[in-house]
Amino acid sequence: MKDRYDHENIYWIPILIIFVFLLPLILKGISFSYKYYLFVLNLAGIYIILNVGLDLLSGFTGLVSLGHAAFLAVGAYTSAIMVDQLGVPFSLSLILSPVIVGLFGFIIGFPALRISGMYLGLTTMGFGFIVKRIIISFRDWTQGSAGLEVSSPVLFGYTIKSDLDNYYLIYTFVIVAIIIGRRIATSKIGRSFMAIRDSEQAAEASGINLSQYKMLAFFISGLFAGFAGVLFAHTSSFISTDHFDILLSIYFIIMVLVGGASSIYGAVLGSLFIVLLDNLFVPLIEDQIQLLFNTQAGDIQSLIFGLIMFLFIIFQPMGLYGMWLKMRIYWKLFPFNPRQRFT
Amino acid sequence: MKKIIGVLIVIGLFGSGCVKRAPSPGITDSEILIGNVQDLSGPMKELGAIIPNGSNMYFEYINDQGGVHGRSIKMLIEDHQYNPQKAVVAIKKLIEKDQVFCMFQVIGTSPCEAIRPILAETGTPLIAPATNSGTMSDLTKQAGDLIFHTDTGYDRQAEILVDHIMEKNSDAKIGLVYQDDDYGQNVLLGISRAESKYGVTVQKESYQRGAVDFKGQTMNLLKGGLTDVIIAGIVREPVVIMKTAEAMNFKPNFYGTGPTIDARVGKMAGSAGEGFTATNWSYMWNSDYPGPKLYRDLCEKYDIPQPYIGLYHYYGFATAMVLVEGLNRAGKNLTRNSLIKGLESFNEWESGTFPPITYNRNDHAGVDKVQLVQMQNGEQVVISDWLE
Repeated sequence: MKDRYDHENIYWIPILIIFVFLLPLILKGISFSYKYYLFVLNLAGIYIILNVGLDLLSGFTGLVSLGHAAFLAVGAYTSAIMVDQLGVPFSLSLILSPVIVGLFGFIIGFPALRISGMYLGLTTMGFGFIVKRIIISFRDWTQGSAGLEVSSPVLFGYTIKSDLDNYYLIYTFVIVAIIIGRRIATSKIGRSFMAIRDSEQAAEASGINLSQYKMLAFFISGLFAGFAGVLFAHTSSFISTDHFDILLSIYFIIMVLVGGASSIYGAVLGSLFIVLLDNLFVPLIEDQIQLLFNTQAGDIQSLIFGLIMFLFIIFQPMGLYGMWLKMRIYWKLFPFNPRQRFT
Repeated sequence: MKKIIGVLIVIGLFGSGCVKRAPSPGITDSEILIGNVQDLSGPMKELGAIIPNGSNMYFEYINDQGGVHGRSIKMLIEDHQYNPQKAVVAIKKLIEKDQVFCMFQVIGTSPCEAIRPILAETGTPLIAPATNSGTMSDLTKQAGDLIFHTDTGYDRQAEILVDHIMEKNSDAKIGLVYQDDDYGQNVLLGISRAESKYGVTVQKESYQRGAVDFKGQTMNLLKGGLTDVIIAGIVREPVVIMKTAEAMNFKPNFYGTGPTIDARVGKMAGSAGEGFTATNWSYMWNSDYPGPKLYRDLCEKYDIPQPYIGLYHYYGFATAMVLVEGLNRAGKNLTRNSLIKGLESFNEWESGTFPPITYNRNDHAGVDKVQLVQMQNGEQVVISDWLE
């Protein structure tokens, strides 16, 4: 019997994984500031894990969430408290914290049974504010708004401290997250999610239990966000409520949209694109503009970032992954490709 | 052939990574490169533009005179939007990519707290973090030995204000409006110490950073029948609170912590701001001390736009003097260690801008006293000596 992955060309995946593991060495070779690039890549890696989960919720199931920064916060604070104050080993926290965040997601999933679209977005945004208040009010555990110092991850007796160590830790889990995300997306669960997104009535008529699957989508998305939160807390060494503001949740949604909603690879590409754009390319363009005009750094940075987003969403609504698919089909059909299909 | 080329590429890649770096980054024979992270597009972006401009003015003055031991000072500024995560990315860029020698004046308490691990890991000193939080001079915290604070802590300021109020009126009923973040937390610490000292209870009202409406808090203060209210805000908050109180015909004595010292507070509040008293940790920029005099001369010389001139611009200038003195004392063979040693040799050093500063191995607090400045007939008037 033919396996469902047989139609896919998966030979490039091991090559890509080898490249991911060699990348720090290459960076180290070509640039003395490789630690900075690794740091930015680490941040992108954490966001990739979260966005794979967010894509399953928003891209696949069509449930908009503007509260994922709060999920990340719950994961980060839960793990920081468990490891540093309750003495739970980091490896155990890697399992427990995501489950706790998943359960949080489960609770947030309740309103999703009755509301959808913009209203669900607003509800999840409200969840973000509630989480912030809760973190501040549990001062004894969280140090309130003053922020919390977090220990470095310890795995098998080895303390992971440097950017390079963090890179390997984070990207190992990024690869695991992508594989799991792809498996879920192509499984019965993923197909049910898509059916719910396309038409709730049709999905229900086909025997899909709406409430069960919607709650499951929130739970799975919470798991991914919780996992990202654990890595975020322990690799950043310091977390505070200021880290997880509403803008971050909006950034996550932008990452998913720019990458191409309802595609796991899209979430990966979107996260990488936005983080690299924001931290590496926009500052470069900004420096050039500042040489020409006497402008304030911050304003021009936001302007360039906003402009790129704006143009992207207008001209590439299918996102980066959609762009890649179009390019692939174009070359497959070349030279018999009708011009209008690809413009 | 292909194999040989491949091997050569790999050797080249790894070999270039093994090039030895200079012992102290950011230093050449002619230049000292320093890094600064400001809020250029977030809730405090106004200060983010003004404060480093004041520092750059002083650096330009020093550079025009031949620099520090023949090296001119160049400052790179990054934006963190008052977000600790962005602050970490920015400081990582400055230290690892731009290879700055030291950090200077990072604004905000939570951004400063968030960058501690990187300072500790790279051994980069941070001079004059632009926050009054007392935690900055806590030597027991991570990278505490690398941070040199200049300003009196918010906790001390709050305590001094309560001392002043209780001295004037031992039956005073005091209220506090504070920003519900790390700034407010530090103020609360001082307030709780004052509460135990005098056996009083201060009525506390909080607000979220960026809030524009304070009717609820002001109404609660009014209900409490308070005689004195301390506002731990920045510029907009004290203005709105005092105007709202005036509209409610509620007229307690209003006080403010360091950031409210900006002259715009009294001016924008108009009649409601008359009598508003704030703590100040440096000589007033428009006073006749040598530091403020030099400041005003340089503002004229370098044609600084009028809206920039004032407390925060002066603060940038004053903190730059501390850094330059540290660099001077570090000597010609400048390293991060020699800068730390240079700064730790400050013994009642008189800059003319701040009251005398002492740093040593066990004390990185800088200024630990304040004077009170009151709005009288639309002008800021110093009404006290230095209070400790």
